Parts: sequence; C-alpha cells; structure tokens
Amino acid sequence: MAQGEKQRSVLRINLDILNAVSDEGDAKPTHILYRANLSHERLVRYLDDLTGKGLIEMKQDGENRTYSMTPKGVSFLIEMRRAESFVQGFGLAI
Amino acid sequence: MGRFVFRGAERNVWTFRLDDVSERLKPLVGAEFQSMPASALITFALNMLSGLAALLTSYYAYKVNRLVDNSVLRAISIGFMLLGVGLVVDAGTSLVSGKVLVESFAERVLILLVSFTYLTVQMVAYLVIALGYVRAAYGRQAGTLAPLALAGSAALGLYRFSLLSYFVALVLLAFVVFQGVLLHQREKSRFSAIVLLGFSLIFAAHLVLLVSVLTLGTGLYLVGTAVQFLGFLSLLAFVVRSEVVGPG
Repeated sequence: MAQGEKQRSVLRINLDILNAVSDEGDAKPTHILYRANLSHERLVRYLDDLTGKGLIEMKQDGENRTYSMTPKGVSFLIEMRRAESFVQGFGLAI
Repeated sequence: MGRFVFRGAERNVWTFRLDDVSERLKPLVGAEFQSMPASALITFALNMLSGLAALLTSYYAYKVNRLVDNSVLRAISIGFMLLGVGLVVDAGTSLVSGKVLVESFAERVLILLVSFTYLTVQMVAYLVIALGYVRAAYGRQAGTLAPLALAGSAALGLYRFSLLSYFVALVLLAFVVFQGVLLHQREKSRFSAIVLLGFSLIFAAHLVLLVSVLTLGTGLYLVGTAVQFLGFLSLLAFVVRSEVVGPG
C-alpha cells in the first residue's frame, strides 16, 4: 500500500494540528481543520485532547475562538520535528 | 577431527574448519607478530570509535522510539546496541590479542570465546535490523522466516564460523541497503541519503572483511575495519545532524 493511502496515525494527526497552530500563530478552527484535513467532530476531539495536555491553549474573544501554542507545545513540536527527521532517515514515517 | 585455528591476532578471526592448516599458518604468525602492535592499535581505535557511534545511534533510536513507538526503530535500536557492545568488546580483544598470541592457553581460549561471541552478536544485530525492515515491508509473517533461515545456514556452516558470520552479515546488509535504496527513491531526503551511505559503507566493509578472511590478508582486514568505521561515522553524522539541526 502506498504511503499516501495509509491511515494517518494519531500522532501524525496531532502533529499536523500542532504544525498548523504553530504556523498560524493564533489559528482559527477552520484553518486548522483545512490544514489537518479532519472533520469538524474529530477536530474538536483532537483540539480538546491537545488543550488538556497543555500543548495548545484556546482564546475566546466574543464569537471568535483561536488556538495558540503553549511553551510546552513549542518544546514538544521541536522534539517531534527532530524525531521526524531521524525517522525519515531510515525511510520511515510517523 | 576439526580444530580452531588462530589466523593473526590483530584480526580477531578464529576459524573452525575440518582441515588442519595450522602448519601452513606458522610462518605467517611469525611475520605478523612483528607488525602487530601498530595494526592492533589501529584496529582498536577504529572498532572502538565505530562501537561508540553505533551505541549513540542506538540511544537516539531508543529516544525517538519512545516518542513515536515504531517497530523498525525498536529493531534499529536493539541492532545497533548489539553492534556497539560487540565492537567495543572486540576492540578490547584486539589489544589483548596483540600481546598474548602464544603466551597463555587460558588467554587464547578467552580471545576465542570473545571473537566467537562478537561474530555471533554481529550476525544477530544485522538480523534484527533486517527483520525490522522485513516486517515493515512485507508484514509480520515474513519476519518469522528469517530466524529459521539463519539457524539453518548456521547449522550448515558451523565448521567455518568466521566465514559464515561475515557472509550472513553481508547478505543481511545487502537486504538493508536494497531496502534503503527503495526508501530513498521514495523519500529523496538528505537524511535518508546519509543513512544509505552509512549502510552501503558497512556493506562494502563486510565484503572486504570476507575477502580478508578468505585470503588471510592483514592489510585487507585493516581496510575493511576502516571502511566500516566510515560507515558508522556517516550514521553518527546523520544522528548529530537530525538531533541538532532537525528537519530541512
């Protein structure tokens, strides 16, 4: 099976979300949804999980809701990017 | 009746064979003994550095595996740990064997056991790494066939253990390099190119080491050890680069 056809791992999805939040700064859920290629229901579940782990934080401004990285999330993302480069070296994917 | 024959102390190669060649080797031992300290020191340094590079690769594979939990990484971590320990122990033996070639029977037996263990550990290490790739590429069932194939070939080739171990390592490394080429063609990243270079150099080294065992070439053995060191150096460069620089 080609890699593109494989089901993404939970870690891969979390990484896609964290990358989206990191790149956007204050990321709106619709932007994250588009970047992480998830349904709204699944995205909410993953965002709640990442918020609960202290990797991202939610900011509510009236109707607008945005997500940004916490220092713990930034450290985790740096560590994961290093891990990803190591894994890719051996021809693997997260 | 077969017997173990010592083929040059700095090479740490003990061969168990049915025909008695000890008489043929006697003149060689005398000549090699003269140049032993220098070659033993070079072998010691190269194997020690290769071993440390292998242990560092194993540590980072273990560290990354704690984050991503991947069976191939687990295999790479275990395989390189075995290689690292084997190379460090073998490095120590190359120094000791440079001094005790004909002095003590007990020390000879010790060197024999260490060399035998190192060659076995080396085979198992490459088998574990290759198995990781087999399972990743062809599924779990294919992975169970490899130990049976190794056990069969080991039983057949026990009479010439060093030759067999280098040959098995060569076959396993050829498979790992082949997988590496396929994976590199898919990913085309600088990191996979460095890893492929490392495994290719280790493969080339084992080819030279196999020829050196066949021809009793001391110079060839040193060349093989040096090429092997360059292979582990490539892997070390990859580990350091991925740890310090990260992707990109």
